[in-house]
Amino acid sequence: MKSQWIEYYSGVIKVKVSGRGVERLINRLMRDGVKVWNVKRQGTEAITFYMKYKDVNKLRAAVRTSGCKVRFLEKVGGPFLIRRLRTNSGFFTGGALFLAVLMFLSNMVWGIEIKGASPATEYQIRKHLDDMGVKKGKLQFFIGSPEAVQRELTNAIQALTWVGVELKGTTYHFQVVEKNEPEKVEYYSPRHLVAAKKAIIVDMFIEKGEPVVNVNDHVKPGQLLVSGIIPKDDGEETVPAQGEVLGKTWYKTVVELPLTSSFQVFNGNEKKKYYVKIGGFSIPVWGFGKNEYKEFEKETNETALRFLVWELPIAFVDSTFREREKVTRIYSTDEAIKKAKEMARIDIKSSLHEDAIIKGEKVLHQSIENDKVNLITHFEIIENIAEGQPIIQGDEE
Amino acid sequence: MAKNWSQLVRNWMTHKMDLPHDVMMDLPRITMIGQIHIYIENHQGLLAFSDSEVRLLLKQGQLLVKGQAFVIKTVLPEEILLEGKVDQVIYIND
Repeated sequence: MKSQWIEYYSGVIKVKVSGRGVERLINRLMRDGVKVWNVKRQGTEAITFYMKYKDVNKLRAAVRTSGCKVRFLEKVGGPFLIRRLRTNSGFFTGGALFLAVLMFLSNMVWGIEIKGASPATEYQIRKHLDDMGVKKGKLQFFIGSPEAVQRELTNAIQALTWVGVELKGTTYHFQVVEKNEPEKVEYYSPRHLVAAKKAIIVDMFIEKGEPVVNVNDHVKPGQLLVSGIIPKDDGEETVPAQGEVLGKTWYKTVVELPLTSSFQVFNGNEKKKYYVKIGGFSIPVWGFGKNEYKEFEKETNETALRFLVWELPIAFVDSTFREREKVTRIYSTDEAIKKAKEMARIDIKSSLHEDAIIKGEKVLHQSIENDKVNLITHFEIIENIAEGQPIIQGDEE
Repeated sequence: MAKNWSQLVRNWMTHKMDLPHDVMMDLPRITMIGQIHIYIENHQGLLAFSDSEVRLLLKQGQLLVKGQAFVIKTVLPEEILLEGKVDQVIYIND
């Protein structure tokens, strides 16, 4: 009685005994040390009682000699529960399998949507995504973060200026901005073209307006190049002057380059570690041991497991440790000068319009002081020097 | 004659040494809680059991419990706990 719960776990049966001499049977059980409880009389020749499932063999032995009939009415408790679970195991495995499949499908890519791209670019993007492994039916774990996809797409497809990658549930959304958008029709108000810089005019392509300078003319900043006022039979007409005036201009750049410089590089050694993260707790799965790199950079990627639309607090984490090395670069004098010239060229190009051409260059000054190369270079550039200047109505020239 | 003699000695000893009678003399110890529970220790076996009557064998004679709606809550060797409504407890001496 005191330990009903413990008995429940080991199994309890309700027995109905019928026949003459049931009392003798109970005495026998008592002597054999079988615990029996809740004995009730059922009619004249039968009793029911509860006993432990463990003692059922002792009951059998006792019944054999007594000449009573025994029926088991109820079976409750642990062993019977387990047996029932086993017979119904199909149902449970089905349920578990359902959850597993649902989980599996929740972590798949089910759709790729591309917005803002022309059909040709969209086709290109889709093809490239296929090559990258981003397609319907792929698991998200093997794809990598949206940032990585974005980086790779922008690098691989030239026509893209920017692509936004977003993972919403099981669908990838790509927001595309293309480089060559249809050109906007420019509208200009009536204007003149004036010189933006001091230059010698090399060539002129005038679409509209009246040129007032000639090739080989020397112009100063602000000087009128093309007039927007065209004389006509009856007075004059103002138009927006358009065209290119190519002029020779001069620039000076100063480059300073140290002979010795040190910087960090990766030497190619790396170690990968994989974890399963549950809540805030990481369990290493692969890649054990400490990394023995003195200087390293750690990159961690975390992919959360999803269930339907929710992100579970379970995530796969892979981290990469890359060894870093300090490298000291020492230029010889010749190398340093060559490098400095290159740098000067890059420097000048970055400050000019992309149509500009470097016509010639001349080193004005070159010196090596305090382990540094100082280089002053003079560049001759051919570029468009025309700049619009609106004609204010009523302003007479 | 010899059995009576040993009985007498035991009776005398328990009286003189102040020992519990049920231990020394193999007598049943019966505990009742109102009418609803009866707890009998030191019995020798169950003779008859029905809704209204339970007959137990003792070392000497029998014990008859009469009442209504009897249920044996626990049976252990030498111990029995009976539940129901107890009306009478009768010693039967042969």
